[in-house]
Amino acid sequence: MSIMKIENLEAKIGDKQILKGLNLELEPGKVHAIMGPNGAGKSTLSKALVGHYDIELLGGNIIYKGKNINDMEAEERALEGLFLSFQHPVEIPGVNNAYFLRTALNAKRKHEGKEELNSAEFLRLMRDHLEMLGMKSDMISRSLNEGFSGGEKKRNEILQMLILEPDVIILDEIDSGLDIDALRAVSEGINKMKDGKRSFLVITHYSRILDYIEPDYIHVLKDGKVIKTAGPELVAQLEEHGYDGIEEA
Amino acid sequence: MNLSTLKNKNLQEVNSLLDIKDRDILAERFVSLGLPSKKSEEYRYFDVEKLLEKEYKTLTYVPKTLRVSEKIEIVDGVVVAGPQGMRIYNEPCGQLDMDHFDPLYYLGHLLSPHAIKIELDGDVEVEIEHKYTQSDALINYRIVLYTQSNRHATVYENFVSENIKDSLVLYGYDMHIAQDSSLRVVKMQSMQNSGYSMVASHKINVERNAHAVYKSFDLGGDNALQLIKVELAERAEVDAGHLLYLNSEAKRGTVTQIVHRGEHSRSKQEAKNILDGDSRGIFDALIRVEETGKFTKAHQNSKAILLHDKAYMAAKPQLEIYIDELEASHGATTGQLSEKQLFYLQSRGITRIEARKMLVIAFANTLIETVKDSRHQERIKQAFDDVFYAGHEG
Repeated sequence: MSIMKIENLEAKIGDKQILKGLNLELEPGKVHAIMGPNGAGKSTLSKALVGHYDIELLGGNIIYKGKNINDMEAEERALEGLFLSFQHPVEIPGVNNAYFLRTALNAKRKHEGKEELNSAEFLRLMRDHLEMLGMKSDMISRSLNEGFSGGEKKRNEILQMLILEPDVIILDEIDSGLDIDALRAVSEGINKMKDGKRSFLVITHYSRILDYIEPDYIHVLKDGKVIKTAGPELVAQLEEHGYDGIEEA
Repeated sequence: MNLSTLKNKNLQEVNSLLDIKDRDILAERFVSLGLPSKKSEEYRYFDVEKLLEKEYKTLTYVPKTLRVSEKIEIVDGVVVAGPQGMRIYNEPCGQLDMDHFDPLYYLGHLLSPHAIKIELDGDVEVEIEHKYTQSDALINYRIVLYTQSNRHATVYENFVSENIKDSLVLYGYDMHIAQDSSLRVVKMQSMQNSGYSMVASHKINVERNAHAVYKSFDLGGDNALQLIKVELAERAEVDAGHLLYLNSEAKRGTVTQIVHRGEHSRSKQEAKNILDGDSRGIFDALIRVEETGKFTKAHQNSKAILLHDKAYMAAKPQLEIYIDELEASHGATTGQLSEKQLFYLQSRGITRIEARKMLVIAFANTLIETVKDSRHQERIKQAFDDVFYAGHEG
């Protein structure tokens, strides 16, 4: 049984239809990589899954944990365990990173009927994650993403993921703008989240990230549709022939 | 008393209406400026006529023997309590500004022949609580603050009211900040449905090498305007910040005139305005650099966020400069909350209301954090929460 099933999804941004009948199933505990050329609809797919305001659904269904979430608000989707690591995390001056993270975590804990964490408990939880991600402790006392380098922003996304422990993790171009050390730290954080139940949707242009996060499935997205699904061996084929060499299944 | 009866009156008529003794010079200034109306530039965005046309009961001034208290308590314009040893008097106000732009500065002095004089001796920190208990009343009073040279004083100002309605408060400070001293004033007004409107007309005189900090946090309902004139002597500084957070039909704001008289004087003024509902925010601020104010540094900025399409911000930053040797800037922006930022927060499970609050607080934080004392900082944040959720009920 899949944790998420996307059926014939059609979506537009503004006047332009981007997703044109996309089908995809995410299996629990598996890493699904979505690859495709520029303009294929990869980022649109990630936005559609988390209920981004830019996206207007024209047809199809997003079934998550057996429930249609087409009309679900973004925050409800997050509370239900959907997480998007943004390609370009937004800077929010004046919102303290730690305060933001604790608010988000406590919202989720409340939703799950758990007790909220106080500041001390939260900081203890953070400490280990920060060390593992090679983040300086002052990053949590700074404003959310403000003045962060590209690598710091991505690490901060992974920190949020580690703290919130979502069930489906969508990583949109997580490797873009990362040097080798940052890529390794980020990948380590992602791999740490693999528990046999949690699913990953790794959206990427390049195969580099897949050296660090081993995928179970590769889906090729082109012109708003998944045109091919195969095992990890497809990466080599894409490296050799590019996306033009892939025929619709 | 109906203040609109003073409209277009000559000196003799004003004298007879207000029963003024020996204060012709004040009355002359008031008559020359005239009772404010919607044609007055400084009251253009504020419905002052409606307030002045109302019939108010006048309160008889009866000075009280001061009770000892941690804070200075002023009830309906009469000081009733103060810290032990602090010099607080009721006496006529000297050293008035004879060139203030606000006619109600003069009217306030004419109506309040006895001012509350507070001498801030040494390095002190004191809270002034203004309490209003009378409905349909004209509550008028003036306060004079003095600092001592080489000393640093802080004043926290709070306002409370007791089930009143339709009163008008005319009050204001004359602050004299002595050479080489500093005075930090943090004004906090956070009552919704407070039952009174307010016009506060201040004069801040900053002497040589002195430093004034004036931060106002206005989260009130109803109507209020603060009009402030600051005069800076040589190497004097003023750091002014105004946070406005309004909802429903509140009309509130700040009108200032900062005058750089002395060389190397500095001013920094920042206004942050958050407007919800049908509210109107006002920031009308002039920086004037006189010929004697060479090497001045003057910076002024107003930012507004409109949370509702009916909210309105009247921002008018202005510079009037008579010399070349200076550094000056001013600007005003008005915008809305960023959908991108809201979505980012929501995508982490934070409700839209909470996300809005986080962004609104973030916008305000640069000013809130200038309040050094954490207790007062928390008080402002709590008031912010209260006002925010009151505006989002249902």
